[in-house]
Amino acid sequence: MTLAKAASMGLGFPNIPVAPVPGHPGLQSKDVLQKNIREVTLDSVIANLTKPPAQAVVGGEPGARDIVCRGSFEEVNEYFIAHELSDGLPVVPPTVEKVEAFLRYTDRQPDDVLGVLLPDNRAATVWSVAVNGVMAGCRPEYMPVLVAAVEAMADHDYGVEHSGNTPGGENLIVLNGPIIKELGFNYTQGVMRDGFQANTTVGRFWRLYLRNIAGFLPHKNDKATFGNTWRVVIAENEDVLTKINWPPNCAEFGFRAGTNALSIGRYTGGNHISSVSGATPEALLPYLADAVIKQYSWQIMFTVGQGYHTLRPLMLLSPIIAETIAAGGWSKEDLKQQLFDHARMPAWVFERYLRDWTQKPTWNLAEEHAAGRIPKVFHESDDPERMVPIVWEPEDYMIVVTGDLGRNSCYVFAHNGVLGYPVGKEIKLPHNWKALLGASIKNTTIHNAA
Amino acid sequence: MTDSGCARYEALWPRSPRQAKVKALARRLDTLEGKTIAWVWDYVFRGDEVFAQLEESLKARYPGVKFLNWSEFGNTHGSDERAIVAALPQKLKALGADAVVSGMGC
Repeated sequence: MTLAKAASMGLGFPNIPVAPVPGHPGLQSKDVLQKNIREVTLDSVIANLTKPPAQAVVGGEPGARDIVCRGSFEEVNEYFIAHELSDGLPVVPPTVEKVEAFLRYTDRQPDDVLGVLLPDNRAATVWSVAVNGVMAGCRPEYMPVLVAAVEAMADHDYGVEHSGNTPGGENLIVLNGPIIKELGFNYTQGVMRDGFQANTTVGRFWRLYLRNIAGFLPHKNDKATFGNTWRVVIAENEDVLTKINWPPNCAEFGFRAGTNALSIGRYTGGNHISSVSGATPEALLPYLADAVIKQYSWQIMFTVGQGYHTLRPLMLLSPIIAETIAAGGWSKEDLKQQLFDHARMPAWVFERYLRDWTQKPTWNLAEEHAAGRIPKVFHESDDPERMVPIVWEPEDYMIVVTGDLGRNSCYVFAHNGVLGYPVGKEIKLPHNWKALLGASIKNTTIHNAA
Repeated sequence: MTDSGCARYEALWPRSPRQAKVKALARRLDTLEGKTIAWVWDYVFRGDEVFAQLEESLKARYPGVKFLNWSEFGNTHGSDERAIVAALPQKLKALGADAVVSGMGC
């Protein structure tokens, strides 16, 4: 009910009537559910369809460039916390001077709209990107990355409106291009750890922007059961990619190696796989395929069912794992093919997730294939023990090389499918990028020396 | 928090205006008798069972009420949701729906 109320405001129907179903249907017997519908929901449905709804009431809001608080650092932060404009950590007060410093790092106009973000239905303006970037503790020169991130957030394929869903998945930004080194993003040991300003603050910016512009506030539009903290940005190790002649992650989205680009995608969790050992790709493969399968259960509903062909498992490989695989003659595409062939589960297990455990309609692989909705690989026989893949085709896998140069580990993310589908965007630099960056570095050096 | 310094800030609003204006809701029905109710479903939270029970109970009160099954419209929370939702107005009109019940939220 709280979600319906919060979401209806952004959609322009603040008084849309809602009929409650007591409790959670997923934990009720058939008899209890029927009783609840008959005794509570029914009358509410009838009333909602036949009685005039309450008058719509919408409170006023500040204007886009309004100053909402004047005061000390502490007073500004108290105000932002009290008005749900902060993530709970101290924010840098977003002043006009600081925002203008960010705006110098983009050729876009402050009022340019990068998209309109549901559920709050607010315009994602370049101005608002700068304001939230200041708050997150970003440096002004991160602005091109922030703009690209919001362009990706606004891409319909990503589906930002689902960011408050039950599993509470969190977005991951993956960075490619020379900008990694220019801005000092960490791409080696501890790449997913906070502590590196660029990785950390851009990651925090994402969550602040989701709150302030898209409107995902816990207890309102954000209905994550448990939730996750925002993820720091990870950058790929392009030195290693060049060495092994593998394409960068941004190539998944049509960008050539050497392009400044980022990708986003939502993941409900993940796991580190330690001591991936073996001298050949063939020796490493069983552990890698097993790692993938163990991260995926209910999420396969994004392969067949709730979503079709929208699951894209993401695997991080530490550099020496990738180097060992490449030394064995495997390309990135070969590795994807091998994962497709070997990361499989029995058909009856797949269908149990789809149907029995998640209480969805009577989906089964035979009928879906017969109806032409899924590829033959999911129903090559009626044998319930036949092994089926968890994605439609090898290309659905995403492989990123990053992390500690001396560790033989991988990390597998559980993807949230259509509710956070990966998209990529080019990071467009301002025309005077080099000059701006040179001045910024000089100022930083002087400041640090002082 | 305590005021640890003398610096003063003029902090900007970090949001931007909502783009959706408040829209009027459709006129309510005088009765459900003889009317057609469409069920629109996002394929979660046992909506198929909930709608079936509502149909049975509504039919008992309004013998002339008719229903459009959720399967007519497709999943409003899946791969094709944007196209399905965009097609709803035309489809509802074509099928003669007088009212819509959309579920399930949680």
